[in-house]
Amino acid sequence: MNPRKLALLFVLGSVLVPVSQAQIKHIEMRVEGMT
Amino acid sequence: MKQHLGRQSGVQKVDVSLIDGKVEVTPKEDGQIDPAQLLKAVHDSGVSVAEMEVTARGKIVKDADGNLALQASPGQSFAIAPNDLLKTVEPLADSPAVVTLRGELYRKPAGKKKAAASAPLKLLILEVQKKE
Repeated sequence: MNPRKLALLFVLGSVLVPVSQAQIKHIEMRVEGMT
Repeated sequence: MKQHLGRQSGVQKVDVSLIDGKVEVTPKEDGQIDPAQLLKAVHDSGVSVAEMEVTARGKIVKDADGNLALQASPGQSFAIAPNDLLKTVEPLADSPAVVTLRGELYRKPAGKKKAAASAPLKLLILEVQKKE
């Protein structure tokens, strides 16, 4: 593969992968009035 | 309430502790879960939420007004309330760095018996767990 294409893929990958891995991992609530 | 929460999109598991009034929600693998929707679901089941904490991984971004927010997914971001810990992540704004934060997303206003279900959610950082 063309080295320029490879470099572009690497740059895009390093930017896009962290965003796709972004997420909410855990939610905790304290509630009142629960029976 | 547990069933009501379990039906919300993105929810994998709900654990309720009646003793200390704690509700733990485990999101599905994709993490596509809406805390505001959960808050409303709890409200709709007749229970009041005193506080909500989240652990989220995402990028620090700046909105149009220059305020910082945590982008937890491409279509979901939470405005960050100013505190000392905000300063530690401020330099990462609009960079490709990813952070894992634990923070308070909602707290029932003092003196109110019932809080509004649609209160604006702002993330008050309690702990910066990881910077990548």
